[in-house]
Amino acid sequence: MAVRSTVLLSLAAAFAPLAQAQTTPSSAPVTSSSKSDAPIPNPPRNLIVPDRGKLLLTGGFSDVDGAGGGGLVPWALITGYGTEDSYGFNGHYTQVNLREFELRTYGVGIGIADRVEISAARHDFEVTGAALEGLEVSQDIFGLKVRVAGDAVYGQDTWLPQLALGAEFKRHRGIGNAGELTSPRQLGATDEDGVDLYLSGTKVFLAQSLLLNVTLRHTKANQFGLLGYGGDVNDSGKFNLETTVGYMLTRKLALGGEYRQKPRSLGVDDEGDAWDLFVAWAPNRHVSVVAAYVNLGSILGPATTVDRDQTGSYLSVQFGY
Amino acid sequence: MKPITLMRSLFAACLLAASLGWATQAQAEETLFAQIGGEPKLRASVDKLVEIMLVDERINFTFADTDIDKFKSLLYDQLCELTGGPCKYLGRDMIESHKKLNTTNEQFNALAEDLYKAFDEVGVPYRVQNRVMALLAPMQPQVVDKIPAKE
Repeated sequence: MAVRSTVLLSLAAAFAPLAQAQTTPSSAPVTSSSKSDAPIPNPPRNLIVPDRGKLLLTGGFSDVDGAGGGGLVPWALITGYGTEDSYGFNGHYTQVNLREFELRTYGVGIGIADRVEISAARHDFEVTGAALEGLEVSQDIFGLKVRVAGDAVYGQDTWLPQLALGAEFKRHRGIGNAGELTSPRQLGATDEDGVDLYLSGTKVFLAQSLLLNVTLRHTKANQFGLLGYGGDVNDSGKFNLETTVGYMLTRKLALGGEYRQKPRSLGVDDEGDAWDLFVAWAPNRHVSVVAAYVNLGSILGPATTVDRDQTGSYLSVQFGY
Repeated sequence: MKPITLMRSLFAACLLAASLGWATQAQAEETLFAQIGGEPKLRASVDKLVEIMLVDERINFTFADTDIDKFKSLLYDQLCELTGGPCKYLGRDMIESHKKLNTTNEQFNALAEDLYKAFDEVGVPYRVQNRVMALLAPMQPQVVDKIPAKE
């Protein structure tokens, strides 16, 4: 009888023709009509509607530059919950409140076939304390990421991580509310705009419930690009390391930490490395929240006469489909 | 003096490595099958999984033609053997059993998600659930893309 029970197992067992679709298997007819070895076509899919097929948490979050990743670091994971057979998109808003500064970032991202990610984000940065109170800086970031090898989740039997190459094109929108100061060039930056290139390797160690990410970034960006690119100290760019370690507490909740080097190219800025400790929550495939304690290092210490580390809160909300 | 310090560090490192090795070995003595809770818990998990997947509209229609009791029994055998339990899976391999199907990644992941939920309901700890998933996840190329297993 129905013993051709195809599947013996595994995740995702068998898929019979749509014609036989039914939700009450108890009354499943035993058919002997399908003895043929001809392939069974899958039900027609609506390619317009995202499949939302990835497992929770594996869609990643939106990092500070709008790329799929953690809080400060882009991962090799392609943003959204679309699998190789589909796509997914999302929008996010992130609020970072530091001791003397505030950073608001928002943007959108789309992941196509779990292969290509395109993102756009805006940074609005404001001095909320210290000498330059009221000063505003803004920039746009366009991101492109391509997965080049491996699968972070399925590849449990290999050491190869998921690898992705990414680029972030950043366009400065000027400095406001600062009198004569309107461009980061006046602070010593060589350029207002710039491009970051990175290689990310991400692996989920399921047996240990761990996520590990290492990113190597080539950048000239001063303070994420908010203070322009290159400078008097270094003008050729630097290779910086970034890393994320996450521990999955449940299917929907992870905690961890991140570290991101910054290039320190401007003489007037004592730019320090950034790190955070985060809690990430994905109650379903449409919403995720990341809350973190963040330290962006010192920002413009000499100019603001505040050279302590800029610590504070990071809260990011992402909605997706 | 320095070489001696180095020797001591090396010795300490060896001790540490040895004890770590011992610890892992001791842990390895308890099979994943036992960590799940042996036959009662695994059978309950499989029963629960089938209950959940049959109301999961992403995949339930695909079991319309399946002998559910036989499916349960084979799935139990496979998970039991995979996790180091005293069983032998005698069903077909994953390519053969999915040969006539166009399993999508969404469907593959849907069953994984249902298994997570089943383990939750039966009370298998999340860390242990993930260890089982680590053994199942590499089957994706066989089930979805029909690529033969390595080795």
